[in-house]
Amino acid sequence: MILTEVAKSAWRSLASNRVRTLLTMLGMIIGTGAVVAVLGIGEGARASVETRIRSMGANLLTIRPQSASGSGGVRSGAVKTLTRGDAAALSKLEGVKAVAPENSGSAQLRYREKNKNASVVGVTGAIVDAKSLTLASGIAISDMDDEQRSRIAVLGATVARELYGNASPLGTRLQVNGVAFRVVGVFAEKGSGFQSPDDNVYVPLSTHQKVLFGQDHLSTISIQAESEAASANVKAAAERLLRLRHKLRDDQENDFDVRSQTEMLETMNQVTGTFTALLGSVAAVSLIVGGIGIMNIMLVSVRERTREIGVRMAVGARRVDILLQFLFEAVVVSLAGGALGVGLGYGAAALLASFGQWTTVVPMYALVLALGVSAAVGIVFGVGPARRAAKLDPVVALRFE
Amino acid sequence: MTTPTLFVDKLEKVYEAGSADLAVRAVDGISFTAQKGESLGVIGPSGCGKSTLLNILGCLDRPTAGTYRLDGRDVQDLDDDDLAAIRNKHIGFVFQSFNLLPRMTALENVELPLLYGSVKSSRKLAAEALARVGLADRSKHQPTELSGGQKQRVAIARALVTRPSMLLCDEPTGALDSKTGRDVLDLLLSINAEGTTLVVVTHDLSVARSLRRVIQMRDGRIVADGPAAEVVSAFIASEARAS
Ligand SMILES: Nc1ncnc2c1ncn2[C@@H]1O[C@H](COP(=O)(O)OP(=O)(O)OP(=O)(O)O)[C@@H](O)[C@H]1O
Ligand SMILES: [Mg+2]
Repeated sequence: MILTEVAKSAWRSLASNRVRTLLTMLGMIIGTGAVVAVLGIGEGARASVETRIRSMGANLLTIRPQSASGSGGVRSGAVKTLTRGDAAALSKLEGVKAVAPENSGSAQLRYREKNKNASVVGVTGAIVDAKSLTLASGIAISDMDDEQRSRIAVLGATVARELYGNASPLGTRLQVNGVAFRVVGVFAEKGSGFQSPDDNVYVPLSTHQKVLFGQDHLSTISIQAESEAASANVKAAAERLLRLRHKLRDDQENDFDVRSQTEMLETMNQVTGTFTALLGSVAAVSLIVGGIGIMNIMLVSVRERTREIGVRMAVGARRVDILLQFLFEAVVVSLAGGALGVGLGYGAAALLASFGQWTTVVPMYALVLALGVSAAVGIVFGVGPARRAAKLDPVVALRFE
Repeated sequence: MTTPTLFVDKLEKVYEAGSADLAVRAVDGISFTAQKGESLGVIGPSGCGKSTLLNILGCLDRPTAGTYRLDGRDVQDLDDDDLAAIRNKHIGFVFQSFNLLPRMTALENVELPLLYGSVKSSRKLAAEALARVGLADRSKHQPTELSGGQKQRVAIARALVTRPSMLLCDEPTGALDSKTGRDVLDLLLSINAEGTTLVVVTHDLSVARSLRRVIQMRDGRIVADGPAAEVVSAFIASEARAS
């Protein structure tokens, strides 16, 4: 019964000062809005990375060069440790279905008057299976193309669209760093996100190494194990083999890094998680600012209503009744601001999703968190002014001018 | 003998202002009793401690020394929540400046003490109290939409809605013209006639004269206590001598 009076009196007070109430809420609106939007973007990034990695299959191992900081110190050009010889040796291991060596580099593309900078990846025939790529048109790069060092290219969907529009690229001549390549195929769209294959141009690995970049090393070796169960064994065997081939002593660390898809997923989640936490905490600071705004207004309100507090005490309000009344008011402001902020955050996330290449997913916990934190901010910053009101001496409050 | 409604013995209220010789003895050793149903006026020059005494009687303030028993119950040792409960159930206040809460209707103002007392069917009781002071038709009006006399009637309805044993009024007619003041006084007297003890602090000697008994104060002390007509006449005579 007293609770309805508390609610009504909060409403009266807030409604009688609409503009002030709205301005006070603004801090909370912006704060929660930012938190929800950031969490939505972070979660969206995580989800898109996860689907991509999962789509490649659980039996895929990825080997990348890694600078070793063992007893020999940092090697010069430490990321040149993987070679085609390594890839060939790995393909003979038991349980290995296919090995796809790659090397990637950035190059200038030119078709007629259109220019574009893109990632050019040298591959062998195994890439299609290893990365679960499908052709939209034309043919893929084969091992024969690799052996013959053919100057042919297969385009990712985005590259094809940007350079050719709706026209078919098949059979055209594409300049890659000034070297002419014949386009023989286009891969189907994989979806947006980090390092999407849609943004790449694929050429035979030997052409990439000898003709385009003059390099012998690889940037990645993908191993497809025969089954998910076999992949743990393959991983261990691959590590042993590469250590042997790279002549690493027992006290030296690996100069490469073998990861299963699950491990990749964990790493990526860590990265996006850290990123989200960082941005989220920046956004959370604005919640504190919002809380200070509420505290300020509540102090003003307590002062303005000193006489009212005295009257309420004279007719029988206990100190706790007064405390509750002002605390409730503070929580209403912060929670209402929080709720509006959640709406704003949703809107911002949806807008970003429709503009950019991001997919945003606002997770349920973000809503609960935003509203919970808003309520907590109201309590934390409202309790001081409310206590000040409750501690007033009734006689002093009644004499207040 | 029945327990008096008010029992006050050597009551003191001293405001410490810095050093001891600057202390203000607003109430300086007051003793009196009042039986149930009494109508008591308190007169005296400005600053003599009338409001301070009334605030102590109303449990809004605590004495610095002395005994105060309300309906036989020692009040000075009670904690804040008990005092709040006493103000809620046993005492009704009427102020010179009405002290109605803004943005609340007359009915809501009258209902407020019942809400703090967690009384059931508070709406109905509040409406009855408003009808008692003759303002049933103004229940939806806010204080800004009422005349001074009407505001004071609403305040009286708020004071009597919990059926307190005592009404304490600090210059209830001070802000009203004489005709309206007379109506408000008649209302208070009729409530007193139904058995509620009435204490009225006033500067208006005609108001004091309508009560049964009057206490005259000076510098925090009682200088006269007796039937209204006698005390007021003596007061007028002494004023005349002084000038
Ligand atoms: N909080 C306080 N601190 C110090 N002195 C105070 C305080 N409150 C009241 N006084 C003093 O106590 C004395 C009595 O004040 P009180 O308000 O009771 O007078 P009063 O008889 O009601 O006067 P009036 O007829 O003008 O209302 C005054 O001298 C006043 O200055
Ligand atoms: Mg006074």
